[in-house]
This record gives sequence, structure tokens and C-alpha cells, in this order.
Amino acid sequence: MINQEQYFKLAEELINTGKKNGATEIQISISKSDDFSIEVKDGEIERLSQAGPVGIGIKVIVDKRTATASSSDMKKETLENLVKNAVTRAKLASTDEFAGLPDNEKINSDISALKLYDLKIEEVSSDLMIQRALDLEKMAMADKRATISGGSFFGKSTSEIYLINSNGFSNSFKTSSCSTGVSLMSGENANSYEDGYYDHTIHYEDLMSNELIAAEAIRRLTRMLGAKKIKTQKVPIIFEQGISGSILGFLSSCLGGNSIYMKRSFLAGKLGEKIAPDFVNITDDGFIPKSPRSRPFDGEGVPTLKKSVVENGILTSYLLDTYSARKLKMKSTGNASGTTNFTIGGNTSAKDIIKSVKEGLYLIKTIGQGTVPTSGDYSKGAYGLWIENGELTYPVSEITISGNLGSMLKDIELVGNDVDFIHGKMVPTIKIKEMTISGL
Amino acid sequence: MIINSRRDFIKTSAVGAGVMLASNFWVDKLIAGSAPAAGKDFIQQRFGLSPDEIQKTLAMALSRGADFAELYFEYRISNSIGMEEDIIRSTSEGITLGVGIRVLKNKITGYGYTNDLTMESLIRTALSAAAIAREAKHSDIISFMTRTPNHQVYELKNPLTEAKLNDKIQLVRDGYEIAKNYDSKIKKVSASLADEIQYIAIANSEGLLEYDVRPQARLNVSVTAEDKGVRNTGSSNAGGRVGIDFYKNIRTPKDIAKKAAEEALILITAKNAPPGTMPVVLSKDESGVMIHEAVGHPLEADANWKKTSIMHDKMGQMVSNPIVTIYDDATIPNLRGSLNIDDEGTPTENAMLIEKGKLVGFLNDRLGAKILGHKMNGHARRESYMSPPIPRMNNTVLEKGDSDPAEIIKSVEKGFYAVSYQGGQVSGTGKFTFSVNLGYMIENGKLTYPLKNATLIGTNIEILKEISMVGNDMGFFLGTCGKDGQSVPVTCGTPTMKISKMTVGGVA
Repeated sequence: MINQEQYFKLAEELINTGKKNGATEIQISISKSDDFSIEVKDGEIERLSQAGPVGIGIKVIVDKRTATASSSDMKKETLENLVKNAVTRAKLASTDEFAGLPDNEKINSDISALKLYDLKIEEVSSDLMIQRALDLEKMAMADKRATISGGSFFGKSTSEIYLINSNGFSNSFKTSSCSTGVSLMSGENANSYEDGYYDHTIHYEDLMSNELIAAEAIRRLTRMLGAKKIKTQKVPIIFEQGISGSILGFLSSCLGGNSIYMKRSFLAGKLGEKIAPDFVNITDDGFIPKSPRSRPFDGEGVPTLKKSVVENGILTSYLLDTYSARKLKMKSTGNASGTTNFTIGGNTSAKDIIKSVKEGLYLIKTIGQGTVPTSGDYSKGAYGLWIENGELTYPVSEITISGNLGSMLKDIELVGNDVDFIHGKMVPTIKIKEMTISGL
Repeated sequence: MIINSRRDFIKTSAVGAGVMLASNFWVDKLIAGSAPAAGKDFIQQRFGLSPDEIQKTLAMALSRGADFAELYFEYRISNSIGMEEDIIRSTSEGITLGVGIRVLKNKITGYGYTNDLTMESLIRTALSAAAIAREAKHSDIISFMTRTPNHQVYELKNPLTEAKLNDKIQLVRDGYEIAKNYDSKIKKVSASLADEIQYIAIANSEGLLEYDVRPQARLNVSVTAEDKGVRNTGSSNAGGRVGIDFYKNIRTPKDIAKKAAEEALILITAKNAPPGTMPVVLSKDESGVMIHEAVGHPLEADANWKKTSIMHDKMGQMVSNPIVTIYDDATIPNLRGSLNIDDEGTPTENAMLIEKGKLVGFLNDRLGAKILGHKMNGHARRESYMSPPIPRMNNTVLEKGDSDPAEIIKSVEKGFYAVSYQGGQVSGTGKFTFSVNLGYMIENGKLTYPLKNATLIGTNIEILKEISMVGNDMGFFLGTCGKDGQSVPVTCGTPTMKISKMTVGGVA
């Protein structure tokens, strides 16, 4: 078992190996986890998994030429060979004026204030986990409308992230997580439906109770029973809280630095332009306490500070790592590891949003890929509830919704106030003025 | 998709002549011509563990009263090269090393893994997996039967992992430059080559000791074209369990680059697909994704013994039009999804799934076969040592039919012709989608203009019955299939086919 100090020491040694062999700059990242999970099905344990994986990432720059490596073999000789190979390979890459590590930026914020680690997680026993998973399935299946259990689970994990580079950055943080959920099926053949619910938090005490999860799973399962196919038409669409993230997820892939400089985004070159109505504000913030999406610095050691991406409807920032930032003559936004708590501000209740629709679709699940960043085209299979006169009525399925993210952003009409970072629900309910539904 | 011992391996090389393997793991070159060591010695040489140590670990795994225990050793080297903006931006090398320990007791699975191959760590991992069973039991010493795969379906001659880095870079450059210079409307190109070699060894409490050496490669070119303010991206790739010669003789970087460039150029002229229900013709090259989602996943053993698949009670029934025959064959040479043995050590075979419309088989792993009372058929796979094996597809094929592809198109008055895809998805209840990147409008039996941005949606048991014409051609698609958080390489093959009606998600 290696302790924290030894990981820092290993990284320093590898940095020295790299430098000795000709690396101009070198970065070492190490992640170590302890994972334990229980899966239950039909009242019995189906699977129990336990592991403590370790992995290392290496980035070497030799005179503006880059090579990377990774390993799950942590033997020193293997890692030293990987570093030496990376130096050799870097010399075969092209000279790239934008290559290089970021300048060392101090993490000024107090990482512990983020509360990303719950000591109590260590004490959650396997017996308790098994009991919770068994109880959850039993509770959900007690409702006769659920005919088949897709199983329940309880998992916990702790992990440590280390990042050390030759520019003097050296830091680490620990995170914990626990999660539990159940999946259910009901109905027959083409009319069957599967759904469920799970919760995922950093702190054990924040995790939803079995009662609440089972009730929510049943609510989600039963509301879709007897779904109909509807005709092709254009209507307002409300993205339910849990899936509204797919709009922002697609947006974030269109704002990534590589998509911008490779012109594989419809938003390339649109910085400073109006892309949404005045009331739309979209931010990314790695420093929200107790959020499973928070992290103090990205994979290059750049702080993941709060930034405005869309402010009063105007595109104010891309999501950049050091490389794409240099290429675009900008500054890294701390997004080398993707987004953190990427969210949109809103103040309308979900209920009032539904009320605002005379006839439309309340979208509760999508299926399929169907997003093209280059064009902004969006097209997915959909499940939802039909809205009539501000009320949810019957379920609909086997339809698709299509549009273009450019127009969807401009057509945002209402944004919900139902963000819940602690449970990882970063994106509120969103109403889009109009999209095409394909059906009968 | 995607990834070590105690001896020294130094493959000396000058710069530009390849790079030495990172691990100190390898005593010799296992691949290319030299016969691999037999099973027992394989684990000894590759993972530094003696047969005694393996027996001891298995005994620990069984020590709480389990029925079955298994060790899955993996060592994988994966490399990649990426080019964009006219430069080789980076190369990477990855090492995956570890052992997964699985214990079965009735339907219950205990699983643990470690990347620390010391006896101490192996015993700790074995005991944590063993914890599913709760009674002490003495197990007899296992005597191992070394088995070698009964077929060899990979090209191990001139593997890319052994090729000179400069030669591989040249493949990427060729693909990049041909695409970049293909047309003045082409603005951006990226090209990449990913290759890997995976060494696995499996030892189980039934005395099986087996190993396999699996190459994999994929060359990809993505092209972004722009004209009059309209931009779009087309991609193409080729590869499989092949060596470098594949890119010289079978699919050259030029072929791949041209296909990607042409797709991008067509896409910038494409209109949005029309919405509604209409006849759909699926072209041969990539349409296997439909079979993969609509038929393959619902026929995996786990979804059937758990009764979460819509197919679980339909064995022996007609589930499709009799012109439809579907099988999954992992033994087709050199395809991306091909395997000599599955990840439980079972020899792979061609598993018939739907024969002339009748459901005749599932894709089985050990656990599923036992519970269902079926025969194992070599379809247990895992992403890596970190994951337990689950039933999966390999190369899923809808057999060729009698129809001339041109006649199939001609038979449609107004409909949608699907050419390339972003992918597909299926739910347990059989609803599936596939996302079309490029398609065409069919009007009066002719392809008229290109279409983009369409999702096709249906329910498998309904759509299977709507397959009304099957072509006499065949094409394969390289895919990566995700299930339960595990990604594995697959292909699917289909001829041109007609679905008499399906919902096309388009924009009004």
C-alpha cells in the first residue's frame, strides 16, 4: 500500500527521469480509488465488486513537441521506460508553438471548504450496503405495477487525484461518493416500459432514503405506462430537470476548445454574439461545495473557478484547456477535464413552466446520439407526457424530437429553479418554444 | 474502447525505428511468427506467477464455499497518433496490466481486481471476491489442462504495435493530406491511428488454463467542409484485428480519406430529413447498427434470464419475416469483433440467433448458459480485467438475401435511404433508435437529394416484421459497443434492406 507522500515522491522521480532524458516539461497525474459495490436482483445479491485501481498519466514536452503515456502497471521500471519512450516519441512529433504546460497557478481557495470527502463513507459497512440495496428493491417491488425488477445497487467509492508538474505545480485532492438506485419494468411487449431512480452524493448523510428513491422510481415507471404514438407536429417542449442536462451537455461539446479551433462547432467564431435571450445566463463552476461535479483544479492544474459562458444571452467564453487557449490567443478556463457544475440560471417553478404550455411535450427521456456539433443539429428518440392546457395528460413514446441547438438556445422561453447540486442535478427544467416531433 | 512481470525486456532501437516497449514485462517478442509459450509458461513468463501461485489464488477464491473461481490476466499495450492543423500533435502509449478475480456461487458473482500482481495482493483480491459465499470449504488442488484456441482469426504478421513509429506516422499523414487536398471546400482535417495488442490468460477452478494474443487497429479520418457558411463533418475509418499490411493492400489511407471527404462535401449540401412515418431503405455499409440494437442486445443471455428483454419468452417463435436470418460469428477472420476464445476461455463459434425468422438462440456466457440451460457459445466478453465478463456481441450479421439493391430502392415511391450513422441505442423494452449522419430522399424509386439530421425510431419486434426485402450485397461497420459501463469492439454486417415503414425523425 502506497501512501500519499510516496505518490508525490514517485511523481518527482519520474519528472527527474524525464528531465534527465531531455524533456523540457513534464506532467504526472495519478489517480487511486477504492471502489465497492453491491448489486441485488430478485431479493438476492447478484454481484459484489471490490477493487482499488491505480492509474498514472504522463505528458512530456520536448522543445514544443508533445507525447503522452498512461499505465495501470505502477512498477517503477515500467514507468521510467514509459517516460523515456515518451521523450523518444515526442522527438518524432511536429514542433508546435502552442504545446506546453500551463504556467503554475496557485490554488488560492481552500480545497477542504469544498467538502468533497466524507470520512463517514469509509465506515459504511458491506452489511449496511447489502441491506440498503435489498430493502430498496423490496420497497419498490412492493408496488404491484412494477412487474420485473431490473435490480438495485449500492456503491461507494473514494479516490485521490494527484497532479505534479515540472513548472512547480504539486497538489492533490480526495473525493468520496456513494450512490444507490433501483430499476424497474412494467407492462408487456411493445407496451412495456423501464425506468427507475438513483441518487449520487459525496456525503452519506445527503443520500436520499430508500423510501424516497423507491417512490420516485415507481412514479417514473408508472407515468409512462400505456404510452401512445402521436402525430408529426411542431410544439413547445419542456425538458424535465433530469434530462435538460442533455441540452447543456451538447452545448458544452460545442464550446470545447478543440471543436472551436477545428471549426467543428456551430459556435466557432461566435464569441461576443447574442446566442440566447437576455435572461439566459450559463456558468461553469468547479467550486460548489458537496457537488459530485466539483473539483478544485483541472487535469493540467488550472483552477476551475466560476466563469460565465453565456451572460445575458451573449456568448462570453469557450471552455478551454491550455493548448486550445494558446491557439485561440486566450487563457485556459480550467476545462482541460471538461465541465464541472455547468448550469443555467432560472427562477420559475417546474409547475409554472408546465402551466405555461397549452399543447406540447413534457420530455422525460431521450434515446440515441443525434447531436452534431459542427452544424448544431439535434435529433433524438423521445419519451414524454403530453401537455394539454397546462396539465400533464397521457404518456407518449416512439417519437423523435428534432431541431438545431442554435435555434433551441434562441427559443429558450423559461428556465426552472430546480437545480440541486448536491444530488448532481446541475441543470434545471428548460422550456423550448418549438421543436419538431416526428411520429405517425 | 480499448490495454506486465518481472523480467527485463529491452527492445533496443534507434530513434525513428520504433520505440521500446515500456514494460519490463516481456522476455521476448511473443507475436509475429514466434510461437507463444504454452498456457502455464505463458502466465509464468508474462505475469510472473507460477502454476502453484495460481492454484493457491484459486483455492483462496473458493475458500468460502463458491462453486467456481476464475483468474483473468491482462496485459495490453495501446498506442495512438493524432494529426490536425498540418502537424503530428501528439503520440501516446498506454499500458494496462492487471488481474480480475471472479467467484460464482449459484447466480451470485463476486468480483475483484488489482493491478498489483504480488501474491499478497492477489490473495487479498481473491478473498474479497470470495466474500459472496459464507461457508468455509476446503478445495482440492486443481490440475490444469492447458488448452490452445482451436482457431486463429487474427492477423499477427507485422502487427502495428511492432511497426516503426515513422511508418505509422506516415499512414496518418497520408490520410490527412489526401483529405485536406481533396477539395477547396475542405477546411479542417484530423486523422488518427490507434493500435493495440492485448495478451490475456485465463485460469479457472475447472482446471482450464488458456491464453490469447489479440491485435486491434483503427485508422480514422474526419473532415470538416464549409461552403457558403454551411459547415459539416464527415468521418471514415477502417481496421480490425489486422497488421500494417492491411493499410497497404486492403483499405489504404487514401480510401479512408476519400470516403470521409466525400461525405463531408455531400453533407454541406444536405437538407434536413423530413419527419414522419415512411418506408426506409438501409444501405449495406453501416446499417448493421440497426441489427445490433434491435436484435443483438435483446438476445444477450443476461437480459433474457433476468427477463428484462422483450425476447425472453419468444424462443422458438417466429419473430421476423422468414427472409431474415441473423447470426453472430466471432470467427470471421480479422474483423474488429473477432475472437479466438471469449473472455471466459470458451472457444468462439458462429451463434445462430434468428433462422429464417425463427428465434433459435441467445448470446451466452457461462452464467447465462447455466441458468437458461443453454450451451455456452463463446460470447462472454469484458472491457478489461477491471470488469466481469457479460454476454456480448462480436460480429453480428444479417445474412444476404436475393434482392438486387437497385431493385430495393426502385420499389420505394417516397422514402428515406440511410447511408451512415453516428450510432444507435436500445432500451430493454425493445425501443431502439439509430442516428443517421447521411441519408437520401427516395422519390419514385430514385435517390434524389441528400438528407442529414435524422433519428430513426422503432420497436424491435415490430420492425423485424417490417423487413420486407433483403439485398444480395454485404457491408461491415466498425463499432464500439457500450453496455453496463463496458466498451468492447464489435462489427455488424448487413446487406441493403427495406423496412416497409418506420418513423423518421426529421425537421418540419
